[in-house]
Amino acid sequence: MEKRHKILEIENMQTYYGDSHVIQGLSMHVYEQEAVSIIGRNGAGKTTTLRSIMGLTPPRSGNIFIDGRQTTRWQPHKISRLGVAYVPAERHIFPGLSVEENLRLAARPGSGEDAWTFEKVCEHFPVLADRSHQDGATLSGGQQQTLAIGRALISNPRIIIMDEPSQGLSPILVQTITDVVLKFCVQSGITLLIVEQNYQMALKVASRHYLMDTRGEIVNNMTTRQLEDNPEIIQAHLSV
Amino acid sequence: MSGTLGIIVDITLNSLVLGGVFLIVAIGLNIIYGLSRIMNMAHGALYAVGAYIGFSLVASGLNFFAALLIAPLIVGVIGLIIERTIIAPMRKRSMAYTLILTYGLMFFLDGSIKYIWGNKPRFIELPEFMQGTLPILGTDYPVFRLVTLLLIILIMGALMLFLNKTKIGIILRASSTIPEMVSCLGVNMSYVHMGAFVLGCVMAGLAGIIAGPLTTIDPLMGGEMLISSFVVIVIGGLGSLRGAVIAALLVGGVQTLAEFFITDLAMVIVYILMAVILAFMPRGLLGEGKFE
Repeated sequence: MEKRHKILEIENMQTYYGDSHVIQGLSMHVYEQEAVSIIGRNGAGKTTTLRSIMGLTPPRSGNIFIDGRQTTRWQPHKISRLGVAYVPAERHIFPGLSVEENLRLAARPGSGEDAWTFEKVCEHFPVLADRSHQDGATLSGGQQQTLAIGRALISNPRIIIMDEPSQGLSPILVQTITDVVLKFCVQSGITLLIVEQNYQMALKVASRHYLMDTRGEIVNNMTTRQLEDNPEIIQAHLSV
Repeated sequence: MSGTLGIIVDITLNSLVLGGVFLIVAIGLNIIYGLSRIMNMAHGALYAVGAYIGFSLVASGLNFFAALLIAPLIVGVIGLIIERTIIAPMRKRSMAYTLILTYGLMFFLDGSIKYIWGNKPRFIELPEFMQGTLPILGTDYPVFRLVTLLLIILIMGALMLFLNKTKIGIILRASSTIPEMVSCLGVNMSYVHMGAFVLGCVMAGLAGIIAGPLTTIDPLMGGEMLISSFVVIVIGGLGSLRGAVIAALLVGGVQTLAEFFITDLAMVIVYILMAVILAFMPRGLLGEGKFE
């Protein structure tokens, strides 16, 4: 079997949110240039997992390795500088800052001719170019999600961590965002870790999937093909 | 003296000058609060320190405008020392800790002022061209007050340019809304907090030396200004820069008018204004807890 580089690895992570023990021993990994999803019910601890990786809610025990470095107790800005971009479920577009300022704040030089710049974002996302001077908070949900993804891309990251990009969007917009994620993240060689309740979107963008139960434990690790052949597994995990 | 028009011009210009000084002090306080949720009780004392340092620099023979640049920088260095020693270690704790610490610091700074400069009032010697008056629409208005007004406009313009056009300014504005996301973009928030505190202190020092020639410099000036600037940011809305601009001009105007007609009750009227505004708008004019 091909030996691939694990760009993200989590070992037996335990994370608390206040007093509640949200993640009770999670282990998983993501290979470089792989697209992986975490599927699970609402409240399973998917967001907390991403927040732990990002350093926003550090785990109480266990280990997180990013690109071989032990980052378990690192602050978010140091993790970001390793090339990790975060697209939170709330989008977190800065109100009072224009679309352009939201992007420029995140911009970091990339290598190569096809590196992301403000101009490249405008070229590929005309919806943002048209509104570059508008207050980011005045954008619609779909536009804000596009901006949040553009803000991740412009930092020229190695990994993008994306939380529920489909949340609150109409089916047509979910399709648009799915295409954006596929084209600019997955097919461009950026490693993707995505959390989704909309498993159809997760199946489209990711090639491998972790199924999470309500105690924040991984109960299954399957490829898209395996999941498509066994739809009853998804039903068991997501149906109410 | 002068006719009605002259009085109107006098009152209007005096309102702008007084409001402008309030604004610079209050904005300093607001930047620190908006970015770090710290209510700096020593802000008025730092304003006084700025005025006294300005006095000493000018008294030692330095040009007034050179002192105008150097005094705020010295106050900024004092602010940096304060931030690193007592503010930064308390960052993760409740606001009560920094409130009490800066309250104690206020007494320390007030005491230091009395120790170094004594109790007697001091005056900043102005350059000759600023000592005269200029006839404007039926009144002879002091030149130094016009220069002060010009300086306030320049300072506010520079601050707006800094916040709107520079990368650091954009980081500060973003940090006042969703600090967590700013850190996820690779910005070390402890530098943001440090920068905000130092910037706020520089503003206090700047206001101090600017206001020096307007009033006598005495050990009470800091406490009075702290209260006035609280009134301004409470009326304008905590953390709101635009609110502070409106509130500072409002308070400056009301106080100037009140001093003209009923001198003894001037401050009382300012408090009544604050009470009325808060009765109808409990979060102040533009209070949203963000800073723009």
